[in-house]
Amino acid sequence: MKQLSQRLLGPVTLVLLGLTFWLGLWLTPPDKTQGNLARLVYVHPAVAWVALYVSFGTATIASALYLWKRTRSLVMDRVAHCAMEVSVVFILLTLITGSIWGRPTWGVWWAWDARLTSTAILGVFALAYLALRRANDDADLRARRGAVFALLAAINVPIIHFSVQWWRTLHQGATVFTADRTLLIHGLMAWTLLISFVAFTLLFFWLLRARYRLEVLRGARYQVALDEALVQRRREGVR
Amino acid sequence: MIRIALLVAAKDLRIERRSRVLLWQVLPFGVMGLVLSGLALGPTHAGHSSAGPGLFYLVMLLVTLLMINRSQAIEGSRGTRASVATLGLDPAGVFLGKALALAVELWITGAVLLAGAVLVLHTALVGTLQALPSVVVILAALAAAGTLYGALSGGGQGPATLLPVLSLPGFAPLLIAGERSFSASLHGGAFWQWWVISLVALVAYLAMGILLYGVLEDS
Amino acid sequence: MPDADSLDLTPVAAPPVPRRGRRRTIAVLVVLVLAMLALLSQGLLHSLNYFETIDQAMSARATLGTTTIRLEGIVKSHTIDRTSSGASFWMTGGKGQEVFVNAHGSPPQLFQANSPVVVVGHFTSSTSDRFDATQILVKHTASYIAAHPKRVKAPNGTTQ
Repeated sequence: MKQLSQRLLGPVTLVLLGLTFWLGLWLTPPDKTQGNLARLVYVHPAVAWVALYVSFGTATIASALYLWKRTRSLVMDRVAHCAMEVSVVFILLTLITGSIWGRPTWGVWWAWDARLTSTAILGVFALAYLALRRANDDADLRARRGAVFALLAAINVPIIHFSVQWWRTLHQGATVFTADRTLLIHGLMAWTLLISFVAFTLLFFWLLRARYRLEVLRGARYQVALDEALVQRRREGVR
Repeated sequence: MIRIALLVAAKDLRIERRSRVLLWQVLPFGVMGLVLSGLALGPTHAGHSSAGPGLFYLVMLLVTLLMINRSQAIEGSRGTRASVATLGLDPAGVFLGKALALAVELWITGAVLLAGAVLVLHTALVGTLQALPSVVVILAALAAAGTLYGALSGGGQGPATLLPVLSLPGFAPLLIAGERSFSASLHGGAFWQWWVISLVALVAYLAMGILLYGVLEDS
Repeated sequence: MPDADSLDLTPVAAPPVPRRGRRRTIAVLVVLVLAMLALLSQGLLHSLNYFETIDQAMSARATLGTTTIRLEGIVKSHTIDRTSSGASFWMTGGKGQEVFVNAHGSPPQLFQANSPVVVVGHFTSSTSDRFDATQILVKHTASYIAAHPKRVKAPNGTTQ
């Protein structure tokens, strides 16, 4: 069953992504105010959802589990690392799609408002996490420092989420996760939005799985190379 | 914990007093940074007091990075970590001690640079004095955060270049809070709101340091 | 010199680090949570607002003077006059106060009557209701409403 779901993950993701683009570009109506620009709502929020909550959340939870001695394992460290790498990609996509949306609607590519700035800072945090991991050769030290840094960076996530409620920002408020639980999008537009969230979430898990497998292979290759080097040294010693 | 903190802080400050790195390297760097910022903005903008708070905190951030590297270098000298491990010192106490020593050094540098801001950037003297409570708290928060980030970057490859990458995103909110409160004291605004935010950030960083410093140091 | 046999050469273990452990961790976590709650509580952070509303700006006219600010309001209908250098229009605040905006530079694509906008610039004097803007930013709402709802057909083929 597990194997089947893993096999289906890729195709289902592709089908849902295709469905999102088909519905978003052809079937859904344009918005009353924004016209066709509103079609970015089927990409940008879903990408941001994955960047901030799914991938950064996965990295944070895995980091916390690594720091907790009872659940400390190489798997947690690898999951945290791989999720953070995928998170960098999605944060960049969030900023790029946001910029593309911002130029015609607001009139600028970038605005120094709380939502945009805090998202950019999160992106820098994620890049810094990867830099930190590359700077440490010792596996245990690397994992512990990475985990601590991920927890420090995660404080930014609730700030980003609530920024549009706490402060007056240029960025629009919540459409789905509103404070009074009312949905501000309806009909086919709402369904397409929902499908986009599912599609991009599955895309994250697909990418995470691929990246994780790569990491396992890299670890195994490192071990083989180490064993071979040791055998070589022993042979040199015998001669 | 407090006793160990005071011991570690006294040790760091004693080393600083004897080496005079703060006096002969860090302070001149800070003053030069302030003057160069003024030159970069040009006489029209630099002479306008609205530029002062931002430039002051920008230079203070650069100074903080220098000092954190210095603080970590003391721990990195041969045998220091082994001595700390053998003595069985409480990591939380070590963290608080190092943060306290760094805060004292930043307060001294901050006082000199504030005087520089009044002279070079024409920030109003009364407003600058009114900003002192916020400057003290922000610099202490920078010290606490810096000590934590310093421990994160220490020991690996290129710690001096890694430190800015790790710490600057974390310092950004402190920079905003510092600049806003300083500006509020000069031109009016929500000074005490920003002061409370700075204080909360200081408490949060101290708490995280107490909780996590041991994880970073223990290997 | 002491005899080597009389020396105790057993490796000395580092003294155990005193573990205040769980109680301190809990106390620190409580402090952290309280700090976060305080930081995240709405009242503290209002100063991060991206713009001033017209009502706020009008009530602080004396202190604002001619300093550059971001001002938010709704574009009043039938007042937009597109000029060669930009656009001029009246902007309305929540309490009905109005400001005349003279903006330079081309307005964004979505700029239209009754839309919320943020203008960057300054009042022409400390008593005037005229605002010179160098930029117009259009705020769009979080609501998405179909422009042509009849284009969407129900499964039975009828229009919704």
